[in-house]
Amino acid sequence: MLTAGLGLTPAPLQAGINRAQLRESMRQMHGQRGVQALEDWFRLLDQLRNSDLDTQLREVNAFFNRRIRWVDDIDNWGAEDFWATPLETLGQGQGDCEDYSIAKYISLKELGVPGDRLRMIYVRARIGRSQIVQAHMVLGYYETPAAEPLILDNLVPSITPASQRTDLDPVFSFNSEGLWAGGSTQSRADPLARLSRWRSVVGRMEAQGFI
Amino acid sequence: MSLIKQLWLTIVILLILAFVGSLFVSISSSRHYIEQEIRIKNSDNANALALSMSQLEKDPVILELLLAAQFDTGHYRRIELRDPEGEIIERRVGDETIDTVPAWFASLIQFDVPPGRAVVQDGWRQYGTLILESHHSFAYHSLWRSSLTLAGWFAIAGAISLLLAAWIVRTIRLPLRNVVRQAKAIGEQRFVESPEPRTRELRELVRAMNRLAENVRGMLGRESEKLDQLRRRLQHDPVTDTLARAPFLEHLEVSLGSHSHDASGTLAMIRVGNLAEINQQLGHQKTDALLVGLARSLKQLSLMNGDGRVGRLNGSDFALLIPRAHDLKGLGEELTERLEGLASEYGTLLTLPSALTEYRQGKSRETLMASLDGALAAAENQGELGQVIVESSEQEALFTSHDEWRNALEKALQQGVYLAHFPVLDTQGKLLHYEAPTRLKLKGEWHPAGVFLPWISRLDMSTELDLAAVAAALDDTAQSGKSIGINLSPRSLRDGRFVSELISLLRAHPEGAARLWLELPEAVAVQNPTGFSSLCREVQTLGCRMGLEHATSQFAQIEGLQHLGLSYLKIDASLSKDIEHHQEHQSLLRGMATLAHSLGILIIAEGVESRTAAQTLFDLGLDGATGPGVRQNGSELID
Repeated sequence: MLTAGLGLTPAPLQAGINRAQLRESMRQMHGQRGVQALEDWFRLLDQLRNSDLDTQLREVNAFFNRRIRWVDDIDNWGAEDFWATPLETLGQGQGDCEDYSIAKYISLKELGVPGDRLRMIYVRARIGRSQIVQAHMVLGYYETPAAEPLILDNLVPSITPASQRTDLDPVFSFNSEGLWAGGSTQSRADPLARLSRWRSVVGRMEAQGFI
Repeated sequence: MSLIKQLWLTIVILLILAFVGSLFVSISSSRHYIEQEIRIKNSDNANALALSMSQLEKDPVILELLLAAQFDTGHYRRIELRDPEGEIIERRVGDETIDTVPAWFASLIQFDVPPGRAVVQDGWRQYGTLILESHHSFAYHSLWRSSLTLAGWFAIAGAISLLLAAWIVRTIRLPLRNVVRQAKAIGEQRFVESPEPRTRELRELVRAMNRLAENVRGMLGRESEKLDQLRRRLQHDPVTDTLARAPFLEHLEVSLGSHSHDASGTLAMIRVGNLAEINQQLGHQKTDALLVGLARSLKQLSLMNGDGRVGRLNGSDFALLIPRAHDLKGLGEELTERLEGLASEYGTLLTLPSALTEYRQGKSRETLMASLDGALAAAENQGELGQVIVESSEQEALFTSHDEWRNALEKALQQGVYLAHFPVLDTQGKLLHYEAPTRLKLKGEWHPAGVFLPWISRLDMSTELDLAAVAAALDDTAQSGKSIGINLSPRSLRDGRFVSELISLLRAHPEGAARLWLELPEAVAVQNPTGFSSLCREVQTLGCRMGLEHATSQFAQIEGLQHLGLSYLKIDASLSKDIEHHQEHQSLLRGMATLAHSLGILIIAEGVESRTAAQTLFDLGLDGATGPGVRQNGSELID
């Protein structure tokens, strides 16, 4: 506090998830039921720690698609397009498309998947065979930056290469590069920088013990 | 280091610390804030541009145009587009020089802002990464401006606090200096009182010292009464409380040798005829009462005409010395009137012949007394209240008529007075000031005061003479840089015009005024304490020193003496004459010196005749001396 008060550089935060802190945050926010869900997630992470990448992608995708019920943000959080942290998503047991993507993104990063291979992608989705289109978000896995990504989606249970997803039109993608300096795990987040949704959710994740 | 200096140093160091500290905090927090702003801008602009590019066909020309448009219309140092392998597709780099702030300022402050990055999508694939850096000149400019503003505000605040500090220091310094002066004075046995300052700590100190001074002065006051009693016993006739023969004649002699206004006046002698018969008829007690009544009446007469003295020369003869009184006839009538009143109480038994004469500087005491004796004998023959006025021989006079005198004096005053210089030296032989009696040029020759003073009084010109003397003294001190003392005539004190003209004269010469010592006879201050104290107040604010001449132990009885701020006293010569041989006078003077010192007043002996006398006087605690005995030592004799 003193150094911050004198305007000196804040000390870098330690990276990686802090399980004790997450449990404490969860207990406060969602009680025992939430902690149970969190413990399941920890177990998943422990099981997948040494698995191959395909298994990791599949199991993480399946875990969240199975456990989280899809709802619109306005019903879940009372706010349009609220971006929840994985803790909040797990605690609620339900979430929006971006909540799935964020939770999967964080899980995979925790399992050691390099951050620059994962990108959250805004897509234009046609639901079923109808002509109804909807704004949607999926998580893409890029083997190399120039490669075609694998898509982790909550609408379909399996992981497919992007070219097979003719129902989706990509619009724009982003990840946490730039939020963490030079691809390192050190946070550069600043109170001022939480103005955007993405930064805000990253900031909350830090507070809850993810990063 | 003095307390005041320490105070100043502390204030200045505190101000500098506050300035440097606030400047550092302000710059570092502004820098931090600006860095965040630039980072957000970098990131937002990169994302916006990448978003636009993602939506377009990946035609190199269009991408280049888009990038160039963004670069040219914005404030950027660098925008580049790299393909996933890191090869540059398109790049714009701007000028990095910062010319809106001084180079040293830019080199002192470094911004650490990462570039904004965003990925351009081409369908599902990544087309490339956009890297964008904003220009920092505006950031430097805004930081420089805020530093300047802060410095400006601080300069104003600093100036105000320095003014405030100066005021505070001044309010402390003045009483502090007074306290130090009082403490020093007490160290030198001068028990002066100081006004109590408002600062609490100092006030308590001053109060304690004032209490000490008050106690000492109370003690000295009682002592002074004893001294006065001692003086009376030494010098006064026990029955009538008038001066005894020897002191009276001594006083007359001193007056005749004086350079000042007292050097001339009226001397009268009154005889109680057939005292032996009266004593037989009325008895001893009633006779004493008669003598006391006569003495009282004579004293009243002398007081009404200035500061005269009454002496009892022998059993039946009384003498009256009234300096500066030259209207023999008028005085004679006044005297006769009083004697008539007295004589009527006793019927034909009492005869009170009287004789009057004028004395002036240079005449011998013996001649005067002899001629008065003769005149008195003649008066006795004239009847009960016979009176003879001995006219001074006019042959020695320069002019014969009033008009001639007036013209000559006016002319002489216009020509200007000449000031003689008699040094007044302190115990170390250093000059305190010059006593400067006036000389006037009459009939082509410089004449001492004794010659013209009777006429000055008679023609009521003492105001003009005093003003001329003060003006001459101011000129003199302006040239020599030495202090100079001027006797003021008692009449001038009663003249409102004199006081106001004196003030304006002094005000016009503030430097000279600080070296001017003005003195009046003690008797004047005793008789007219209000006039005297208002004159003291007026001239002292202009830097003049005020003093009393012919002071006796009576000075302690002047009303409000401790508030007059008197600088010096010149002891009546009759007290210091032949001091080596007068044990009683020695203890009297020692007491007076202590008393004067307790009020911060210098005490100076006049008419000191020898070096041993001067040494004795200094041993008694006197601070200075003047007279032939001192002048012999001093090489500074002028005149």
